[in-house]
Amino acid sequence: MNKLKTNFCGIDMKNPIMTASGTFGWGKEYSDYFDPNVLGAIVLKGLTLEPRKGNPGTRIAETPSGMLNSIGLENPGFEHFKNITMKELEEDISTNLIVNLNGKTIEEYVELTEKIDKIDRIAGIELNISCPNVKDGGMAFGANPKIAAEVTRKVREVTKKPLIVKLSPNVTDISYIAKLVEDNGADAIAIINTLLGMAIDIEKKKPVLGNIFGGFSGPAVKPVALRIVYQVYKAVNIPILGMGGISSTKDAIEFMMAGASAVSLGTSIFTNPLLPVEVIEGLNKYCKEEKLKNISDIVGILHK
Amino acid sequence: MAAFLEDVKIIENICLGSRYYLLKVKSEKIIKEIKAGQFCMIKPLDNALILRRPISIHNIDKENGVLEFYYETVGKGTKELSTLKAGDIINIQGPLGEGFSINIKDKKIAIIGGGMGIAPLKELIKQVNKENKVVFIAGGRDKYAFEILKNINFKNTIVVSDDGSIGEKKNTVEKLKEILEKENINMIFTCGPHIMMEKVAEVAHKNNIYCEVSLEERMGCGTGACMGCSIETTKGMKKVCKDGPVFNSKEVIK
Repeated sequence: MNKLKTNFCGIDMKNPIMTASGTFGWGKEYSDYFDPNVLGAIVLKGLTLEPRKGNPGTRIAETPSGMLNSIGLENPGFEHFKNITMKELEEDISTNLIVNLNGKTIEEYVELTEKIDKIDRIAGIELNISCPNVKDGGMAFGANPKIAAEVTRKVREVTKKPLIVKLSPNVTDISYIAKLVEDNGADAIAIINTLLGMAIDIEKKKPVLGNIFGGFSGPAVKPVALRIVYQVYKAVNIPILGMGGISSTKDAIEFMMAGASAVSLGTSIFTNPLLPVEVIEGLNKYCKEEKLKNISDIVGILHK
Repeated sequence: MAAFLEDVKIIENICLGSRYYLLKVKSEKIIKEIKAGQFCMIKPLDNALILRRPISIHNIDKENGVLEFYYETVGKGTKELSTLKAGDIINIQGPLGEGFSINIKDKKIAIIGGGMGIAPLKELIKQVNKENKVVFIAGGRDKYAFEILKNINFKNTIVVSDDGSIGEKKNTVEKLKEILEKENINMIFTCGPHIMMEKVAEVAHKNNIYCEVSLEERMGCGTGACMGCSIETTKGMKKVCKDGPVFNSKEVIK
């Protein structure tokens, strides 16, 4: 029996392992190294209504045990996604696809949700109100409790698909925002998006990133992410998709113990493209060793 | 074309003077697929370094199953790489990206390398020299930058340096212009500092010569997933790691 089988906010998954948006492209970029269909779900690159070029370079800077990015949601826009990307995905991908959805205005979030809602093959929506690399929408929405609640409520009205709201750690009280989002119709909370950071080139006497600030991710952010998962678990009754610096099976287990029902792997896939396969195998082994009926037995165990 | 993750044994990792190194590894999988202009991502051993280092392929020795990389120590990752010895095992990912056009016949080709841009040109010269006539212009900052030429060992090489300490006192672009006055060059391939490639491309466009440039950008994934290395081209946004690093100069340089 599959001990990793998970139902995450209505999405049936063969295991609780997903890929974090923006780190796994459009689902097939890592196909040379492993079959993406082994994943419980693929969370696709951030999508917007209109195409976006993203931010000017330099877009990446490495820091000890982490990296900064200021990609700025580069994507080909909804029409291309629907007509080309989805068709390519449907040829090879059988596992769950989750769209990471972004907008500049609440109206744009709603319009894009309506369009995504019509695509049967999409299993769920990750509503990104926490991207630190865009001027409009993004983190500005997620950091404002009133707007976070409003955008969740309005998007909820136009879709029956599972709605996972991705929150920013760059706020004072994330539990409060998580609860508000839950009260306004979210089916799950995704935490954490990247931490806002910067890097400086002392020779050029300039910030490294073209956009000055960027989103900080990788193993270095794990303690912060774990703490937030733990806090939010106490505040809400909906499931949590945990992420932030997971680079081993042990890390994934820690997130689940803190309260995550499923986890996303991100930056660490760049270091180790086989990480998703290793974590799935590792969780299976852990279930056997610990004689668990299902991996969900450990979810939130720290709180019991 | 497939890409692999491969644990490879270091055969040699020698300093060519100053910050320049030549790394030779034994490969079984990647070597079968890799082409001139493509690159591999080398995994650092230090866990605090989380991004792989993109290093272009310098030479493919299929007979002995040996891949050669030529690199400069610029940051922590490459400095760490420079400390590794024969017998050490490293994990490399590749082949990645699109390389140079190599299926060419009966052309006169100018290949221009500046500094570390010389790195991918040995394999390119080897590939295209068989059925074409190649002139190789090598430019560099100091004498150490030219040590690699011994490993390239190509007779039709013209060395130019800014201070004239080695070869002619010229830059690569001036030398290219001089050659174009005398010879009918059909194609230009170049790799080096961005400003040098821009100037080379300008000369190529002015003379209506097909030109390929090998670009460099900071990369996260090497597979086209993260879009960290995206650039604007005449054909829309392209990823240097996946759609490049080699591009038709007209696509990327105005």
